Amino acid sequence: MPATFDEQRRSRVRIVDILLAILVTVGILAYILDVLALRWGLSTAYIGRSYPNYLKAAWISLYVTTIAYFIGMGIGFVLGWARSVRTLPLARVMAARRREAVAAADGGSPGAGLFLGTLLVYGIKYYVRRTADAYVAIIRGTPLFVQIVFVWSAVLVFYPRLDPLLQGLLAGVIALTANTGGYQSEIFRAGIQTVHSGQVEASRAIGLSRWGAMRYIVLPQAVRLVIPPLTNEYIGLLKASSLLAVVGSVPELTTFGRSEAFQTFHIFEAFALVVGIYLLITVPVSKVVEWIERRYRIPGLGIQASRTARV
Amino acid sequence: MIRVEELEKHFGALHVLKGVSLEVQKGEVLVIIGPSGSGKSTLLRCINLLIEPDSGRVFLDGTQVNRRDIRPEWVRQQVGMVFQSFNLFAHLTALQNVTLGPIRVLGTDPTTAGAQGRKLLARVGLADKADAYPAQLSGGQQQRVAIARALAMNPKAMLFDEPTSALDPEYIREVLDAMAALARDGMTMIVVTHEMGFASEVAKRILFMDAGRIIEEGSPEEIFHSPKQERTRMFVGKILR
Repeated sequence: MPATFDEQRRSRVRIVDILLAILVTVGILAYILDVLALRWGLSTAYIGRSYPNYLKAAWISLYVTTIAYFIGMGIGFVLGWARSVRTLPLARVMAARRREAVAAADGGSPGAGLFLGTLLVYGIKYYVRRTADAYVAIIRGTPLFVQIVFVWSAVLVFYPRLDPLLQGLLAGVIALTANTGGYQSEIFRAGIQTVHSGQVEASRAIGLSRWGAMRYIVLPQAVRLVIPPLTNEYIGLLKASSLLAVVGSVPELTTFGRSEAFQTFHIFEAFALVVGIYLLITVPVSKVVEWIERRYRIPGLGIQASRTARV
Repeated sequence: MIRVEELEKHFGALHVLKGVSLEVQKGEVLVIIGPSGSGKSTLLRCINLLIEPDSGRVFLDGTQVNRRDIRPEWVRQQVGMVFQSFNLFAHLTALQNVTLGPIRVLGTDPTTAGAQGRKLLARVGLADKADAYPAQLSGGQQQRVAIARALAMNPKAMLFDEPTSALDPEYIREVLDAMAALARDGMTMIVVTHEMGFASEVAKRILFMDAGRIIEEGSPEEIFHSPKQERTRMFVGKILR
């Protein structure tokens, strides 16, 4: 199909746009380099020499973050599910059980065992829910910094003979896992509750169990809904892992950068590298997730990518 | 085939079913009509145990099924249900919607389930829509996929909860045709609907429900043209006009 005059003009405008953008970017970069290297005397030699050590430190950050994130995802899913379940008041459950028992016994007196069993099941469910609520309240209601110090001190008390690196890693992974678990549980709860109740009803109607309905119907839809906040959580957690600097014995990116800065006095270089590497990780992560989101978009649902103008 | 005795259901202070009893023979089509809030949907959901009745008995093929020692999932596999709002699984294609039950619940192998699923989609006239997602289908097409999905479990009976009320008028015919074809094939059906044409054509018996009770029962002729109860007369008068 021949391009219309309008389309030709638009594509020409687009080329000008791109050229302009490149020019501006290069200009800004050149200016920053000029300021940093020439006027401030930033040592490119130091950066060139020691960036591999920073990358190694970044690996530790990534490692701790990723482990904590995925264990936390398991915790978050279970807690989120527990907190999303609606429960009936105990009085109504017991009343229903009583009516049922009376009907079954045909006028005879129903056994006490049945009621004890119901009470026990209800009690466990209630306890699990309240525990989950309390957990989220504690995690959300206290600073991560304090959580890390708290876990760290606990590790120091209970495992005083452990290698300091291991102590630090243990404390870091536990604190970050617990923290992200609490936040992810809210993300999952939102996702699970957003999936239409008719979806669950329909899956139960074809004979799927409660877990089957969750596994095959609710989760696949909920996960699609919560990919953006889950990505946020991963990036947030990576940045939060810099708080492990307080432990000192784990050479993650921020800790390493700080110690380099104060040992070599290449302070600007050190923090420029730290900042650069954090960006080097977080920006591609966002891009990859964007791709995943497009890949698993449900056709026909929501705003169609092809029809959406990019403003 | 299906027998219900003295069914009672409360939602909090609301007394939704006040001792409902009914029986449907194998191959029979029973239509239930009644104003909204009369307990029709709740009754259907009590039959396949999507809702647990407070008291009363539900029998399937002579066996009481609302008992502690019978898994409700087992009952639901044998009684298909079609919903007012279709409730197709939004993230699955039409074919996947139909084959999910056989594969995950019955353990049919995917190839066999796929072949059966395509046959069922063809039966409701949607052979060419197997790979479409629900959001890409019209309401009528979605409801027909939902019928195929329920049929895929090879149920002994089917429940329809106002299957055409959410449809644009132009799509109602195709869904009713699919249901009529099903009835001709000898499927046992309980249908909540206000489609008088369909009821007269397909149903032998019609129940009129109001305020949690069955008020009147009769042939379509009797219910629509010479109802005995005053409440039935008023309701029928409103929907026939």
